[in-house]
Formats: sequence, C-alpha cells, structure tokens
Amino acid sequence: MTAATPATLTRLRQAVAKIEGQETDLRVGGQPFAFGVGTIDAALKGGLASACLHEIAPAMVRDFGAAAGFAFALAARAAKDGGDTLCIQTDFAAIESGDIYGPGCDLFGLQTRQLLILKVSHPHDALWAMEEALKCRALASVIVELPHDGPVADLTATRRLTLAAREGGRLGFLLRHRPTSLTGSVETRWEVAAVPSRPDQFGGLGRTAFVLSLTKNRHGPAGCWPVAWDHHDRVFSALSLGVAETAVDRPDRTPLIRAG
Amino acid sequence: MWLKRLSTDRIERRSSAPAKTPLIIVEPIKSALRISALNDAAAALGLRGGVPLADARAMYPALWVEDADRQADHVLLEAVADWCDRYTPLVGLDPLDGLFLDISGCAHLFGGERALADDIVSRLVRQGLNAQIGIADTVGCAWAAARYGETWQVAKGEMRSRLIALPLAALRLDGKILGALAQAGLKRIADVIDRPRAPLAARFGDGFLRRLDQALGREDESIAPRLPLPSYVAERRFPDPIGREDDVIGCIEHLAQELSLLLERRGEGARLLQIALFRTDGKVYRLEAGTGEPLRDPGRIKRLFIERLATAKDEHDPGFGYDMLRLSALVAERLDPVQSGLAGEDRQVELAHLVDRLSARFGARRLTRLVANDTHIPEFAVAAVPAQMARGASTVQPVAQDSLAPVRPVRLFSRPEVIDAIAEVPDGPPARFQWRRIMHEVIAAEGPERIAMEWWRDSEGHALTRDYFRVESKEGVRAWIYREGLYGREMTHLPEWRPKWFLHGLFA
Repeated sequence: MTAATPATLTRLRQAVAKIEGQETDLRVGGQPFAFGVGTIDAALKGGLASACLHEIAPAMVRDFGAAAGFAFALAARAAKDGGDTLCIQTDFAAIESGDIYGPGCDLFGLQTRQLLILKVSHPHDALWAMEEALKCRALASVIVELPHDGPVADLTATRRLTLAAREGGRLGFLLRHRPTSLTGSVETRWEVAAVPSRPDQFGGLGRTAFVLSLTKNRHGPAGCWPVAWDHHDRVFSALSLGVAETAVDRPDRTPLIRAG
Repeated sequence: MWLKRLSTDRIERRSSAPAKTPLIIVEPIKSALRISALNDAAAALGLRGGVPLADARAMYPALWVEDADRQADHVLLEAVADWCDRYTPLVGLDPLDGLFLDISGCAHLFGGERALADDIVSRLVRQGLNAQIGIADTVGCAWAAARYGETWQVAKGEMRSRLIALPLAALRLDGKILGALAQAGLKRIADVIDRPRAPLAARFGDGFLRRLDQALGREDESIAPRLPLPSYVAERRFPDPIGREDDVIGCIEHLAQELSLLLERRGEGARLLQIALFRTDGKVYRLEAGTGEPLRDPGRIKRLFIERLATAKDEHDPGFGYDMLRLSALVAERLDPVQSGLAGEDRQVELAHLVDRLSARFGARRLTRLVANDTHIPEFAVAAVPAQMARGASTVQPVAQDSLAPVRPVRLFSRPEVIDAIAEVPDGPPARFQWRRIMHEVIAAEGPERIAMEWWRDSEGHALTRDYFRVESKEGVRAWIYREGLYGREMTHLPEWRPKWFLHGLFA
C-alpha cells in the first residue's frame, strides 16, 4: 500500500462532505502552520495554510531586508521538523538585493545545511523550477524571489504554482523585491515593513521586529500586527509599539449588501 | 585507417567544382611554396608532394591551388574519429591523416572484418572522404598495410612475410632515419629484418628497432583512446534516422532500461551519464548529466535527459535525424540495493532526484549548498558548493553572538556598495548615511567589529582594515556597514585621505 498524498485525502473528504451536504473548508493540505501569535493565528484560522502559495512583499523599497527576513523566518519555522528549504533567485535578484549569506541565515534561525540555493538567469526559469520543486515532498518550503514588479508571476503562473503546491503538499513563498499592487492567485499576501527594534538594556539592537500587514486572506480578515522574531527559539512574539492595539480591518465574510 | 586525401577531400566536399579537377594544396616548405597534398586527378597528371608550386604552375597553368590549413584538417580528422565511435569505443588519433580503431571483439557485430571495412569505406565515400584501411594484429602492421600494402587484411601468421616486401617507410619512421637508412643502402624491410640488432641500434637509434618490433608484434603498443572508456554502454541503431524529440527520449528510456540491467548485475549506479547522438551526416553530439547519488532507475535517467535536452536545444540539431544513440555510464559507483519503504518513496531519494534534475537543467554550478570556510573575512566565510557534490557537507560554525540581534546579515552584497556617511567622532558609528539616494538616520548602532584582512590578500589592494557597524535607522532599516581604513595608522602617507564607507549587507 502506498500512502495517499494529503491533497488526495482532502479531495476525498471534500467529496464526501459535498455528498453529505455539509459546508466544507475549502482549504487543502495538511496541518496549518501556526505563527505562535494568537491574534494572527486567529485571523488565519489556526495558522498559515500549508500546501499553498503565500506572497510576501516589502511595504516600501527600503523594507526589502525585512521582507526577506520574514520569508526566511517562515521557512525556518517550516523546516523545524526537518526537510530542506530551496531558495530560487535570478542573477539579477542577487546583484540587486544581495546574495543569501550563510552565517547570517544560521544566526537568524534558518540552518545553512538545510538550505539549497538555485540561481537561474531568467524569471520564467525561476517559476519553472519552483513548480518542479513544489511537487517534491522532501522539501520543507520553496522561496522564489521576483525582483521585477512586471507581470512574470501573473494569475496563470501563480495558479499553476498553487496547483503544484497542492499536489506536493508544500509551502511556497513568492518573495517580491519591490512593493507592487499586482497580486496573483495566492492564499495570503503579506506586506512587511521594518520597524526599529526594542533595544536591550544596554542600548544595543534588539530582536528583529516587523510590522506585518495581511492584505489578502482567503479565509479570514485582513489585519496588521507588529511582531518580533526570536531567532534562537524560532518563534514570533507580539510586539506592542506603545500605541493602541491595532484593529482588525474587516470582519470575516462581509455580508453582501445589495441596494434595492 | 588512412585518410589518404584528407586535405583535398575537405575542400572538394564543400565546393561545387566538377569532380576530377586537379587540386593541389601548397604550404611553405624549405622557403618555397611546395605541394603538401593533392587529389587523385592531380596525381594522375604526374604531380607529387614536394614539387614547388612554380614548377607545377608552369606545367599545368589551370591548376586549382589552395593554401594548407592544418587546423581545419585536424578538426575534420577529429570529426571522423567521432563518427568512428559507432564502430568501437577505442579510437585513437594518428596525427595528420590517420586513425587507429581497436576492433577486437567488435568486428563480428558488423559481419566480420571485411564487411566492417567495406561499411566504413562506403559510408566515408558517401561523405566525400577517401579512406584506405589496413587490418592487422599490431598497430604498426595495420598502419603499413593501410598505406603500402597490396592487401589490406593481414592474417595472424603472415605478418612477417607481408612486411618483408614493403619499403622501410612503412615502419612509421621519420625522414632523418629514412635518409640515413637509404644512404646505407637499406630500402626494404627485408634488408633489415634479419640483420644483427646491435649495430642497427648503434647506428640508427633505438626508435628504429622499436618500430620494427612493434610492427612485428614483438613489442606491445596500445592505442591511446581519445575519449574515456565508459564502463557501461547501451546503444541502438536505426535503419531509418529518427529526429523527433519524443522518439529520442523514448529511445533513451529503452537504453536506460538496458543500462540499468547492466548496472544492477554489478551492483553499481551511475554518477555521470552521457548520451551520444550520431547524426546521419556524421556529426556527433554528446550530452552529459551528472547525479548526486549513484543512480540506475531508468525513469529517472530519462527525466534527467529530458531536462538536459530541453536546455541544450542549441547544442544539438537533429538535421536529417540520428541513426544511432548510445547511452553510457562514464562514472559508476557502488550502489547497494535498499529495501524500499512501504509508505511510498523515500524522501531523501526524492530530494536527490530533484537536485539531479535541477542540476541537469540549469547546470551543476547553479544549484548550490553553502559550506563554511575557515576565515573571518565575511565575503569568503562561505563557499557555494554544487549541491550534487556537497554530500555530508560540514555545518557552518556559528559566529559568536554578543547581541540580541543577529550579528551577521541575511543578505550580503558581493560588491559592497559605496555610501555617504557622516560620523560624529572619527572612529565612531555614522550618524546618518545615504544609500541608493535615500538618507537614513541612524538611531541605534553596535560596533565597531574590527576585521583586518589576511596578510596574503594584500597584493590585491584589499589591505585596509574594516570597522563594521550594525546600524538601525529611524525607519527600521538594519544594515551592516563598514569604514575602510584606520585613522592615523593606515594611509597616513596620504594627507588628503578620507575614510570610505560601504554598505555590505542587510539584516532582516
């Protein structure tokens, strides 16, 4: 007997649920993958869905470092139970925004020995490689970097990637190098802004801090949360910025209101 | 095998001139342009190699004359050698115009030695090349038979009797020895074959006797093969050439199945595979694909070559089709059979296969793992090693951490970017800096972390010591920047010297 893929099982469950007339959760894939921050996990209904594609973009051009860090942090959490992480970069991306630096990744929580780096010359190759890699069940997650804000990862391309991620049950991250209004067929979309860290008692730099804006979420509300990343224990923690708690933007499943 | 008219054939097969036009190739020899090669038509006129061009022109003004091009001749010879690979994997070059083919054990595949020779000659004639073939037990005797022999096939017992009748030039001797021998009145092999050896060796050198012994089989001589001999080979020939990529891939799958049986019998797996595509017109393409783990699964071998063929589109052009495909395992390693798990495929195997496929498509150097180097210079601290080679790679030693935040950036620029920075005190961290036209106000900084270059890198001009700072801007941008050079200690001989600031990496 061979083990059925998670996607097959989910499809079967959905089919059964449809026959029984129950409302189903449209999410596919295995266990959602918790952030460890209550408010975020609540908005995501338990955590980041695996077997899906997630898009990460910097809020401003200068925030690229933070966006890359957030992607690496998620990859580090995904790789906790073993499995390698594949990073796909175009040559242009490496020149424009720097190479992935091994010692830094180690300190940040993403183990270098679990890291594979693929460099390609053309963005289309990057997407092709990602589609192949997402089908491989031995990887924990796949990160592809898109330096251009052009239409490379359009709806069709991201749809293909989503299907591949479903087939393999893998997590895929699209890391954009520039803020863009374009979005593809992704499960969630995050805009990451850097914020000053909370200094330690000697006035030095504190734990890495971000403000995460969830701008697209298929199964819950959008929102905005400041978080800190503990690279040692590989956990996120909520960070209060000393202002009022940030509000959740819109309620889940906004009721349709029709005039007339 | 002797390609008698190699140079003239090379020119004639490309030109539209009517056949039988006398063609000579000239080359400056002994301070005059002399004939170095000529075709049959020119030979029929009574011309010979070594005749000065002026004399030849005087006799036959209408001669077609070309300059010699040794390079092009060599390329053609290599191409023919490639093509001969279809008969035997052991093909050696005999510089200028010959090839050695070791056909021991192969001849019966083509219906015997005679049929094999006929096949080679007739196929070469169709390509516009004249070849003469000699088959014998020794390299020397075959060489002599191809060039001077009346019959091309020399049986085992009659080597001596055949050689006796031939001139001494048939022993592959250089002109100097031949001249000396002629002066002594020795012209045929019969003249020397029974003479006492010591005086011959004393007068004409050791090399002369060795050639004689090699021709007679008293001394071993082996062919130096042009290409490494594969350990495992599977090949298929087609009566009609195939050209469609699907057909080629289908055939590769069949060959992979044959190869995997061979590999399995010896308990080995392939680390380096090569597919050779023999085009009908004699061109041969070779595509290689490496693997990270020993491999013998036919399906995976096929997938590897699908990727390889997809990227190497410009490297191979089917033209009128391929009439032979050969799959060989150039490097093989021990591969013990493993019990496959009940719950589907092993993840490690799946990963190894993904790595192989991506490496086949994009090149082994493009898919890398990071391996630590023992140096404190940031840009040399890790090396990117091809993922197929990095089996059991060492882990990166963590840098000592003295801060809440990571002390090394996640992104490092291969070329540090020049920034404008203003520091409050000469040795202190910058108060603000401008990077890519944006001004960043520094609100927190840690450092300096002083990193001096290793002394042996001095000659490259990277000798200056760097003071690294981890800085955080008002907007939260965290960067790793450094000042090059120390005040008062380095660059003191330049009074106008100002420190330069660079941004080397970005923290998350």
